[in-house]
Amino acid sequence: MKRWRYDSANDLDRTLVERLRRFPREPDMLVYGLRSLGALIIRAWLRAYHRFEIIGHENIRTNRSLVIVANHCSHLDTLCLLAALPLRKLHRAFPAAASDYFFQSIPRLWIAAVVVNALPFARQIHVRQSLSLCEQLLANPGTILVIFPEGTRSTTGETQEFKCGIGALVAGRDVAVVPCFIDGSFRAWPKGRRLPRPKRVRLIVGTPRNYRSRNTDKIDISAIAAELREAVSKLHQTNESH
Amino acid sequence: MMSPQIALHDPVFRAYLWIVLFSLIAGGALLALLKWGFKKETSSMWRTYCSWLIMAPLALLVVFAGRIPTIIGVTLLAIFGFKEFARASGLYRDWWMTGAVYAGIVTVGVASLMLQPHGEEPGSGWYGFFVATPVFAIALILLIPILRNRARGELQGVSLAIVGFVYIGWMFGHLGFLANTNNAYGFICYIVFATELNDVAAFTFGRLFGRHPLRSKISPSKTWEGALGALGVSMLLPWLFRFSFPFFSVWQLVLTGLIVGIGGQLGDLSISVIKRDIGTKDMAATIPGHGGILDRIDSLIFVAPMFMHMAGYYYPLR
Repeated sequence: MKRWRYDSANDLDRTLVERLRRFPREPDMLVYGLRSLGALIIRAWLRAYHRFEIIGHENIRTNRSLVIVANHCSHLDTLCLLAALPLRKLHRAFPAAASDYFFQSIPRLWIAAVVVNALPFARQIHVRQSLSLCEQLLANPGTILVIFPEGTRSTTGETQEFKCGIGALVAGRDVAVVPCFIDGSFRAWPKGRRLPRPKRVRLIVGTPRNYRSRNTDKIDISAIAAELREAVSKLHQTNESH
Repeated sequence: MMSPQIALHDPVFRAYLWIVLFSLIAGGALLALLKWGFKKETSSMWRTYCSWLIMAPLALLVVFAGRIPTIIGVTLLAIFGFKEFARASGLYRDWWMTGAVYAGIVTVGVASLMLQPHGEEPGSGWYGFFVATPVFAIALILLIPILRNRARGELQGVSLAIVGFVYIGWMFGHLGFLANTNNAYGFICYIVFATELNDVAAFTFGRLFGRHPLRSKISPSKTWEGALGALGVSMLLPWLFRFSFPFFSVWQLVLTGLIVGIGGQLGDLSISVIKRDIGTKDMAATIPGHGGILDRIDSLIFVAPMFMHMAGYYYPLR
């Protein structure tokens, strides 16, 4: 009789908190269930409380890997972008979250890892390591990365400069980059406010772009970052004119 | 019947409140004596003890809260215990199998909670369905390879799922069903307290007098001295705690002692067999100083069903 081979989880000897902090996390049926349930509740909340609507939904209907790039001025932004995805893709969608903010205190860690499925992004040191982690993830088809290239929430509601890292991630890579603009999240839940206000929030999804033919040198990388910022702000302007 | 009001006035439950409190204080005092009196290295034992300080009141609180919280609590323990088993054995990668076992465990909980739909059986809990759940769960588990039209390697998944369900879901689920019995406080409190005391006694006697390994290939740290010492304590305990089941005869007290003393050790060793074969030291690192949930409830898995069916043989349970 041939011996069985047990394919144990890699993090058996880790405590619960360490397991949440690790990335990639082991798949866990109960966590997936909880996340899907949470997503349904969040979607209902956004619809009812923020009269949330999505424009250009068809732009993210693909089974290939995606990088979603958006402006960032509120915690609502991540929730809005995740609400635009079909439920079954939620567990392959990783919003990059600052590891110094979301992966320290236990309640935030729990929300980041279980509800949002966040990827711990070291934005101060080891940026390169985090970027290469993103690259590995994108190599699997069907991965969705949600990135806010401003690096932090804007305190004025204006879109700040995009960091070059986004350029380095997508330059020379055959991956669809979708610029998105989230309108109203700053009024609804700005940085520093405890609870959101019942303001209207809208998500505008732009057409996918591809930077496969671009070089990975410094000039092109910062050019891509600037172009993406331009694309995101343009979505804002066209939306205003509606 | 169990409810907070009844628990407050129940002499058995109140006695266990004092017993647990006294045991925790005595354990702490003993550890303090070891540390400062005899200057022994006790840091790992302190961690274990601190976890007890949280787990014991929590367990009492759940039993105090009544029948439904007790059954739900046992079901949750079974779910998370099975999750550890699934993660260690690799079964967790097979979502259909794990899902079927979770569904089975929930069914065990529901069967313990609900009333018998028809018939004249007294009291709560659908006993007939409860003892029959393995039939349906195993049928469901065996249905999965058929539904997905796959045979290669399926036997491993099926076997692991059946072991997981029967062992962790159903056998451990008996502890929850005991909440439906007439003497719920006496049975549940005695079983849990005696089994945990049996574990602690085995550890202590093994540390003090352990020379001869009990099962060297399974768990090298367990010794005959520890096991026999624990059996002695467990044989004595039913007499000391006779107030928990005043209607038990001498023969039934002996049986209770044997079930806890031998069953507890067997439960411990069975989990060790699983861990040894998989090649992991603990099932998880959920409880500091104890390992996983499964490492804590392993003895209860054996004791709870044996005790319940022993008691059910001699007395109407409900």
